[in-house]
Amino acid sequence: MGEEKFAVIVVGAGPAGSAAAYLLAKEGLDVLLVEKGAAPGSKNMFGGRMYSHALHRIMPNFWEEAPVERAVVREEVTFLSGSRSVTVSCQDFGWAGSFRHSFTLLRAEFDAWLASKAEEAGAMLACGILVDDLLVEGGKVVGIRAGEDEMLADVVIAADGVNSIIAQKAGLAKMFTPHQVATGVKQVIKLSPEEVSRRFQVEGNNGVARLFVGDCTKGMRGGGFLYTNRDSVSLGLVVTASELQKGRYKISELVEEFKHNPHVSPLIEGGEVVEYSAHLVPEAGLNMVPQLCGDGILVVGDAAGFVLNLGYIVRGMDFAVASGEAAAKAVLQARESNDFSRGGLSRYEQLLRQSFVFRDLEAYRKAPAFMENPRMFTAYPQLAASIASGVFTVDGSAPAHLLGKVLSRVRESGVSLAQLAGDSWKGARSL
Amino acid sequence: MLNTIACFKWVMDEADIKSDPKTRQLIYERVGYKISDYDRNAIEEAVRLQEEHGGSVVAVTVAPSGARQCLKDALSRGPGKACFINDPTFTGLEPGQTASILAAAISKMEYDLIICGEGSSDLYAQQVGPALAEKLGIPCATYVNKLTYVAEENKIVAERKLDDGIEAVSIQLPALVTVLPEINTPRIPSLKQVLGAAKKPVEDIGLDSLAGTFSPCLKTTGVLAAVMERRRLRYGTGEEDIRKVVEALLREGVIA
Amino acid sequence: MAEIWIFAESREQTLELLNAGRSLAGELGAQVVAFALESGLAQEYASHGADEVLVLPPLAGDQPLEAYVPVIAEEAGRVRPDIFLIGGAQRGKEMAARIAARLDTGLCSGCTGLRLDENKQLVMERMLFGGAAVQTVVCAARPQMAAVPPRTFEPAVPQAGREAKVRELPPVSVSPVTVVKRTPKVRETVDITEAKVVVCVGRGVEKKEDIGLAEELARVLGGEVGCSRPVAEELQWLPEDVYIGISGKKVKPELYVGVGVAGQIQHVTGMRDSKVVLAINRDENAPIFDAADYGIVGDLYDAVPKLVKELKNALKI
Repeated sequence: MGEEKFAVIVVGAGPAGSAAAYLLAKEGLDVLLVEKGAAPGSKNMFGGRMYSHALHRIMPNFWEEAPVERAVVREEVTFLSGSRSVTVSCQDFGWAGSFRHSFTLLRAEFDAWLASKAEEAGAMLACGILVDDLLVEGGKVVGIRAGEDEMLADVVIAADGVNSIIAQKAGLAKMFTPHQVATGVKQVIKLSPEEVSRRFQVEGNNGVARLFVGDCTKGMRGGGFLYTNRDSVSLGLVVTASELQKGRYKISELVEEFKHNPHVSPLIEGGEVVEYSAHLVPEAGLNMVPQLCGDGILVVGDAAGFVLNLGYIVRGMDFAVASGEAAAKAVLQARESNDFSRGGLSRYEQLLRQSFVFRDLEAYRKAPAFMENPRMFTAYPQLAASIASGVFTVDGSAPAHLLGKVLSRVRESGVSLAQLAGDSWKGARSL
Repeated sequence: MLNTIACFKWVMDEADIKSDPKTRQLIYERVGYKISDYDRNAIEEAVRLQEEHGGSVVAVTVAPSGARQCLKDALSRGPGKACFINDPTFTGLEPGQTASILAAAISKMEYDLIICGEGSSDLYAQQVGPALAEKLGIPCATYVNKLTYVAEENKIVAERKLDDGIEAVSIQLPALVTVLPEINTPRIPSLKQVLGAAKKPVEDIGLDSLAGTFSPCLKTTGVLAAVMERRRLRYGTGEEDIRKVVEALLREGVIA
Repeated sequence: MAEIWIFAESREQTLELLNAGRSLAGELGAQVVAFALESGLAQEYASHGADEVLVLPPLAGDQPLEAYVPVIAEEAGRVRPDIFLIGGAQRGKEMAARIAARLDTGLCSGCTGLRLDENKQLVMERMLFGGAAVQTVVCAARPQMAAVPPRTFEPAVPQAGREAKVRELPPVSVSPVTVVKRTPKVRETVDITEAKVVVCVGRGVEKKEDIGLAEELARVLGGEVGCSRPVAEELQWLPEDVYIGISGKKVKPELYVGVGVAGQIQHVTGMRDSKVVLAINRDENAPIFDAADYGIVGDLYDAVPKLVKELKNALKI
């Protein structure tokens, strides 16, 4: 009676929420997209790069309109060990061909654009509103409460990010443990576009994505990252929360040290820090995915723990968009039979299983456990750098073939051959 | 019954403005916009008076045509209607121009009271309110931190907070006041208010429907970031560092 | 002959503007005309540089000072002086805006600098964005008007034997704004704008009682306690006349110490002219550190007592 009712209320206007709202609004549904930040994206953070495939499916060639930064043509993984580093670098101009494989971007601009697309499609966007609770009747989610206002909906989509209050209120998720999340801290450092292109040796609007492992996290599980934007770089560190809690280091201090690391500092020399941000990142993969449907409710994006971290590849936004798409399709199907119960919405889980979302999380299920191996962040970066340095050093000392050089350094590192073999085997099969 | 006009300005968020340290040029990239802080108090005061005495509140702004999103924000704070006086050339207007444009539009409206913020958060010239009152030929009171409407006498009593004390003045309507932020606490729009804003009427007023030319008198010959030369030395809270700080202060001769 | 007009609501401000007016007059070969609120001030204004004094008639008890606007604007409209400087205290700012509107000319409010360019045009300087930037403007119309904040200029130096023409202005019409009550402010505290050392309390201080830490530091340093705006306005832990900022007090002490002050631009504008700045804040990214000579990054509850101890030691007290 006089209560506003929507077909769907999406809580959180990040990539998952906005993708779902966009697709549903395009089909003519009354969609309410609620965002706690003053503008979509203002509370969101990521390392710096989105893989295009998922958004391209629902908005073909989105890059022609969307505020993206650079198309990444070169991927690098760098092992840092004191005065030595070794980098695996791969450049593929095909990644910036007619289909642009991935983009660096800035979330405030990008998320605001994506939400505006949902609005253009007919969704109502309300910003600056925190959803405090769900409205539940007879065990079924029937709406949301924000402050003193209550809004009803057939379905609520929880797209409210890594610490999803909505998923918890619905009894679908539990609060995560420090072991399951990482703390990410990032700075955006301003340089001119010409300077970025020059320092990173790319042309036009091409860009570079770099990941760092080793010294930067002082043996703790995590790594560093650097992404080139148009006229800035996004640089930062991600460290598992449970490791940080041991209290030996403050992540902000680690980021400053990382910036001063001689293998990094020339890249950002003279640049001014224009933005600081910090956020939690889901890390545990499938092991932390909550129950995804309930009566009248679906969970998407980071709220569903849909983040994949393989060390050399980090993905969150493509999962978010794809899960938003799956949620939208599930809702449309549920409407046909007017059944918004967990069963009626179960198409969501089916679609996720058929898509790369579950397929990839499943395939890399062992990755989080593998990444708990401390050698990945200490001995191996050191070993890799030491081997590489040894291979290239000419100083008149006794000659050795490659195998000899490798084995002698393995011996020095204290890692046994058995460990090395075991880790390599496990690593190659889980990452 | 009190028909009030609340004037507001859509301004850059000064916290987002950066500068190039070498050239001292200001960098406006990625700057967020907001309703100027004191104007939120002006809108809130108008809505408060309406809740107490009935009548209407119209939110009026002079803005570049691309700034439409300001209306949603203003309407979610309670006014029943908005007037969007806009033109692509309405950027960087000086206060005198804004006052003249507002006067040209408002002189065609029915109103009892006009409420403005004491000054805008970007320029803080504190001119538009009093200048608008003069152009409309109505009396004004500035620095108001308490406002009362006396319905039986169709007048307002405004308490002005001045350096030497409080001056309470009484003015017959129609009149204009400029308000200080301490006059009220602007409500945070609720979800229903944000959604409701989209349904409220907006009147677009273009340059061609306004009488007069609004040419500027002032010309800006330069804008540079303010500089401050400071040493910017850093210390921790350890005993040794504290000692170094005290030694430095003694050397500077700033402690007896 | 070109004319430079001056109006201010107080004697002190009029003397400051006479200083500025006289030096501009020297360059322009102009006359300086000053308004006086009572005829008794005419001689003093003359000896401080006015060539002509316009004496405003007394106002009825229920009339605010701003009632003078129509008569001042009318006089200025007849003569169209080259330059019109108005004392930019609170009432002055309102009056300047209204006079400029009546005269259809531009006004530079909050004008902190004045000079003439090569075309003898007045170049006026003011702050933007809460103090983050400085803007210079010129005015095509006449008079070129500026509202100048108090204490921007030093008062003029008197010259014995200087005479001025004195003219009494006719009575003003009754203003539609009637004063019904005046409640003078009781001065609660010391004027911190005079203090040589200012210890400023910011939001980093957790409880009202903890202001005692800042007070002790101020005692040891021989200074006064001030605060940032939220501590006075929102928390009301200290009276409003000690808050430092663009809309509050501006201080120029030998030493400013920020205790738990973040350093937003609106606050920094109020203390930027301090000789030496020491800041204590546990957030290393706090903007105050860019405005400080010496920055202690850490917990103020740790740092301030240590500072007090070390200072007592060093000063042998």
